[in-house]
Amino acid sequence: MIYHHWDAIGTVVIVALRGVAPAGYVELTIFPTVMNLNRIKLNSKQCRIYRVRVNDLEAPFIYNDPTLEVCHHESKQRNLNYFSSAYTAAVSAVDPDAGNGELSIKVPSELWKQGDEMKVMKVYIEFSLDQPKGGLHFVVPDVEGSMAERAAHVFSFGNQNSTRFWFPCVDSYSELCTWKLEFTVDASMVAVSCGDLVETIYTHDMRKKTYHYMLPIPTAAPNISLAVGPFEILVDPYMHEVTHFCLPQLLPLLKHTMSYLHEIFEFYEEILTCRYPYSCFKTVFVDEAYVQVSSYASMSIFSTNLLHSGMIIDQTPISRRFLAQALAQQFFGCFISRMSWSDEWVLKGISGYIYGLYLKKTFGVNEYRHWIKEELDKIVDYELKMGGVLLHPTFSGGKEKDNPTPHLHFSIRHPHTLSWEYYKMFQCKAHLVMRLIENRISMEFMLQVFNKLLSLASTASSQKYQSHMWSQMLVSTSGFLKSISNVSGKDIGPLIKQWVDQSGVVKFFGSFAFNRKRNVLELEIRQDYTSSGTQKYVGPIKVTVQELDGSFNHTLQIEENSLKHDIPCHSKSRRNKKKKIPLMNGEEVDMDLSAMDADSPLLWIRIDPDMSILRKVEFEQADFMWQYQLKFERDVVAQEEAISALEKFPTPASRRALTDILEQDQCFYKVRMQACFCLAKIANSMMSTWTGPPAMKSLFTRMFCCKSCPNIVKTNNFINFQSYFLQKTIPVAMALLRDVQNLCPKEVLNFILDLIKYNDNRKNKFSDNYYRAELIDALTNSLTPAISINNEVRTVDNLNADVRLILEEITRFLNMEKLLPSYRNTITVSCLRAIRMLQKNGHIPSDPSLFKTYAQYGHFVDVRIAALEAVIDYTRVDRSSSELQWLLDLVQNDPVHYIRHEILSMLAKNPPFTKAADSSLCNEALVDQLWKLMNSGTCHDWRLRCDAVNLYYTLFGLTRPSCLPLPELGLVLNLKEKKAVLNPTIKSEQGPEVTSNMTFTSTHNFILHYEAAIQCVHVFTRGALTTANSNTRNESETCSTRVKAEPWRTPPVTLSSLTNGSTKVFCSWSELFLKVRFGKPFRTSKKNTKRTSFWPDFVRNDVTSRFRLKYTGALIV
Amino acid sequence: MRMRITCSVYRRVRSGSSKTSTSPTENYQLARRRTLQVVVSSLLTECGFESAEKAAVETLTEMMQSYITEVGRCAKANCEHTARSTPTLSDVVITLVEMGFNVDTLPVYAKRSQRMVITAPPVTNAPVVPKALTAGQKRTHPTHIPSHFPEFPDPHTYIKTPTFREPVSEYQVVREKAASQRRDVERALTRFMAKTGETQSLFKDDISAFPLISARPSSIPYLSALLPSELELQTLEETDSSEQDDQTDTENNPSHSADKENSVLPPGGVVPTGKANEENMIDNPYLRPVKKPKVRRKK
Repeated sequence: MIYHHWDAIGTVVIVALRGVAPAGYVELTIFPTVMNLNRIKLNSKQCRIYRVRVNDLEAPFIYNDPTLEVCHHESKQRNLNYFSSAYTAAVSAVDPDAGNGELSIKVPSELWKQGDEMKVMKVYIEFSLDQPKGGLHFVVPDVEGSMAERAAHVFSFGNQNSTRFWFPCVDSYSELCTWKLEFTVDASMVAVSCGDLVETIYTHDMRKKTYHYMLPIPTAAPNISLAVGPFEILVDPYMHEVTHFCLPQLLPLLKHTMSYLHEIFEFYEEILTCRYPYSCFKTVFVDEAYVQVSSYASMSIFSTNLLHSGMIIDQTPISRRFLAQALAQQFFGCFISRMSWSDEWVLKGISGYIYGLYLKKTFGVNEYRHWIKEELDKIVDYELKMGGVLLHPTFSGGKEKDNPTPHLHFSIRHPHTLSWEYYKMFQCKAHLVMRLIENRISMEFMLQVFNKLLSLASTASSQKYQSHMWSQMLVSTSGFLKSISNVSGKDIGPLIKQWVDQSGVVKFFGSFAFNRKRNVLELEIRQDYTSSGTQKYVGPIKVTVQELDGSFNHTLQIEENSLKHDIPCHSKSRRNKKKKIPLMNGEEVDMDLSAMDADSPLLWIRIDPDMSILRKVEFEQADFMWQYQLKFERDVVAQEEAISALEKFPTPASRRALTDILEQDQCFYKVRMQACFCLAKIANSMMSTWTGPPAMKSLFTRMFCCKSCPNIVKTNNFINFQSYFLQKTIPVAMALLRDVQNLCPKEVLNFILDLIKYNDNRKNKFSDNYYRAELIDALTNSLTPAISINNEVRTVDNLNADVRLILEEITRFLNMEKLLPSYRNTITVSCLRAIRMLQKNGHIPSDPSLFKTYAQYGHFVDVRIAALEAVIDYTRVDRSSSELQWLLDLVQNDPVHYIRHEILSMLAKNPPFTKAADSSLCNEALVDQLWKLMNSGTCHDWRLRCDAVNLYYTLFGLTRPSCLPLPELGLVLNLKEKKAVLNPTIKSEQGPEVTSNMTFTSTHNFILHYEAAIQCVHVFTRGALTTANSNTRNESETCSTRVKAEPWRTPPVTLSSLTNGSTKVFCSWSELFLKVRFGKPFRTSKKNTKRTSFWPDFVRNDVTSRFRLKYTGALIV
Repeated sequence: MRMRITCSVYRRVRSGSSKTSTSPTENYQLARRRTLQVVVSSLLTECGFESAEKAAVETLTEMMQSYITEVGRCAKANCEHTARSTPTLSDVVITLVEMGFNVDTLPVYAKRSQRMVITAPPVTNAPVVPKALTAGQKRTHPTHIPSHFPEFPDPHTYIKTPTFREPVSEYQVVREKAASQRRDVERALTRFMAKTGETQSLFKDDISAFPLISARPSSIPYLSALLPSELELQTLEETDSSEQDDQTDTENNPSHSADKENSVLPPGGVVPTGKANEENMIDNPYLRPVKKPKVRRKK
């Protein structure tokens, strides 16, 4: 939309898996929207471009990709602030939304005149891809046979707009065009791409075939994808226009997994009252996928690991959720695209929201509310920990100080500079905000808005480009809000302002007192809006009070200064009348009221029960109130809140309440699972007063063991999923029990070992792999640190007897897994975790070599991740630099992108050291290596680069890593802000801020740290500034000046052009010193900078000796 | 020509006869044997031998006995062959002929002059055949079987007589047994695999303790991780057949060919009507045949 558009594009990508580089051509038809279009900028990375022609005329072109190497080689800067700004600048420099690109094509002068008349231009580009590192991923298993027999395949991938990695295009979500795609592949392969497959034609030698695709619906380049492989084809039996593809031998799994898809289709089409926009849909399941699911126009690429057979329970809901997500994104994300990056939240929000509706319909209201709570907790935790997540950032100008998220170590200006974790939270928040909007305007209106967006878009999609209707297919924040106000007539401005334009969540603290005289509940709600990631909330809040006479909702107004709210109670406390108590849902129940306070009619209180604020509530109420809430409140969210609150009240009453919940089979199974863990915690706190068998043992026996012999578990029958999940969870929770010596009770351990021993799955319709894996997890949980004498070496002989039993089970499980592998190798995963735990607790020698073999390429991805996690943990505990090096090598060389990403994010989660602590691992070589990794080593994968930045931040913080020798430039003079500070790279983050010791009343204010330096530098800089300022004024605003020199050397000092917008002068204190000492004139040389001598004589003598500071150098920014 | 076979037959006979404390069966057999030896000796004398070694006489006796036994056996066989139970002269004759003996010479030989007369063996009681153990009562013939038919054999030959112990049906023990059996099998199997292949160890000092079969990367790891193992499939089939659940059965049967798959009905759910036509009606671009390239005439 910026300055060009095209109507049709043809690409041929000849994908040859036999080592021949894919090659092809792109043809763009451009409609100039401006006069004098003499340069066309396109996005292209790692493509080798052979020729470019515009309207059959050869056109010269320049290829420049600043993101290849973010900071230039000679720079010795190692601070993350510097990197982040440079990286943002580099990404901006090729941002297609701003009309930029890596490939700049000069329109031949012959066409200039034509361009003036706004005629169509056809750009033809021939290119090839030589061993692409990003964009396309080739999976070529190393076995005998032809490529098809080896199940070799290739697929496109990327984080956000990454299509430029595999063909030159305008890689923007806002540039729509129709597509014609042709792929020539080996005859044994199938090429799946976007749009309709028009025909498949053999090449003349009959060895290859060409797939011709047409996509008549205008689509942005990032939504184009490709997958080629010897796929097995399954036409959906319910919808013949839907085709599924999987790798050889997996067809039975594909059939089972996909047997459900049509229901998702029906659901979305029904709620949106809109047909699926594309004429066909394709799902492709590939190995070594970049993400679990990625959606493109009319096709989605999934990880092959989502496929499962009918025997698998746990994977089924997960896979169905991913399918539903993929399909939701087909409507919002692929068909409807976004105007700009800051509108991304609308798309993510809507697709996440309708996905939530699907969850509600399929998995039930309980599951839905549980999910909402889970998502809310996630975003709240993240924001409170890492700082706010901003959905709709607005950038005014390009200034550093206008950064809307200064608390982050990365810029949110571009999707490519975003940390992956942040982006996940961003999506999470987006759909929660959509739900808030729904709460405000009702679901009916919400769906009407979506329908409106879709019907406008589908009308527009059938128009020709010339009708200028295509922008209807792009959603923008303002357009979306306008639709909402048109449809609903309601003003949701404050809501948007609060949650969309502003980052942070609300943190409430609530407490109450009951005033018996007035029969009033005095509720106090305080807010914390000062700590990071929080914001102030003003507006209505719902409070639900359960009294003896029933449940009552109150809407309170949270205002600036009012903390206390008086809520009149409906019922007097009356204890003796036996009467049923009405609940919120109209149900009436009998309660044993003996536990409650005799004077108060209050059973329990809930703040914001509908989660209509993005908040964290810490509410104080008595333990019996929580117990009543757990037992009698029917909302799963309330039950879960009560469970987590009860952890703090280890009393027999809490125990009873939790046990009651566990036994109630009407209760939502996830609540019961959570109750197990809470019960274990309570039991541990009540250790001395606990009576009877270990917690949950008798319960488990009653539910799952044989009547005649209670020590033997029944043969498995998982037909009832609720009890299956409970059966899996109870042993895991029980293993957390501890006795007085802080050991897992012998009884519990034997119980778990018996469960393993008597496990019998022969008569079961379902696989028990997850169950067995959880039993191993239970063994892991039962482990406690070994009692070590003098740090002896761990040997077989001094192995604890219990541990020996555990180890035997683990060994047997792990060995059996080699002979009869379980689904997704869940058992191996659990065994590896158990072994690491044994090592960590000092039962067996700590040794990463086992994990390293399991982490090799060629193991199942879950196993590799588990093994890597263990290695990372080992690296942290043992501070092993060789393992760290091994991990970093893997990050650079592993064939699987997902593994690389996971290593870095796991390292960031469980770092070998942090910026706060000293470590022997922290050395200059590591800094350099990581710097190199994020600077140039990860240029082929946006996500990986952000991961590397994240890790760098975790290890070294924002400023210069403490292990580096101190920089030569010690002082920073900011010409713009007219102050000088100590080089921020030097000062430690925790250290006190360098404040001004002396203020100058001249035209510039300098804040300096060292008094002695100030006197000298002041004089110097005054001169320098004058010069620099005059220079910049003379030249242009975009000119920047940089003076750099090495210490203890004489000038010349060079001024060179850096980035636009800011003026920088670098200079070194040492030079000053030299100047001071020898009195030579200070010179700056640049082509249009006049040689200036501004060194005043009067400072020559008195400052020399005091200048031998360790921090030498001055830096003027 | 004088022949001499050194022998101590008599001494041996004497010494044999001196033993009186033998069983009747033994006595009977000894007596027969002695007669045979006398026959052999007389034949030898007849042929002109003066003496014979004991071993030689013994061998000849053995041969003689074998010959006579064979004649008897074959005569019996011949007689039974013709459905009789007592051999007749002709049976013996045929036997002798079959054995290559010239029967015609027999009368002449029998009537020869120098023939010695041998005394009949001493009469001893024929050995008593011990009575077979009878188990149960023999069944008498039912009315439709004539009485001359052989009697029923002993009941134990046709009546089921359980010999094993009552199996343990107590649930706890069965489960216990099944569990320990499976565990033993698994342990033995994994130990065997560990011993025969490469292993990894958790302990540096004792590599043989807790051996782990070493992890080998596979070239296509997702196959073994995703596809159900044969054991699982087998279990599934078993449970399926018991539950009459065809659905999962077809699903997990990997032998369907790709072309067939498209016609196979969706598992569960409502079955679309017109199954047979369905296959032909599906118009999916990926199922269409690949077109031949157009021949360009320009070149």
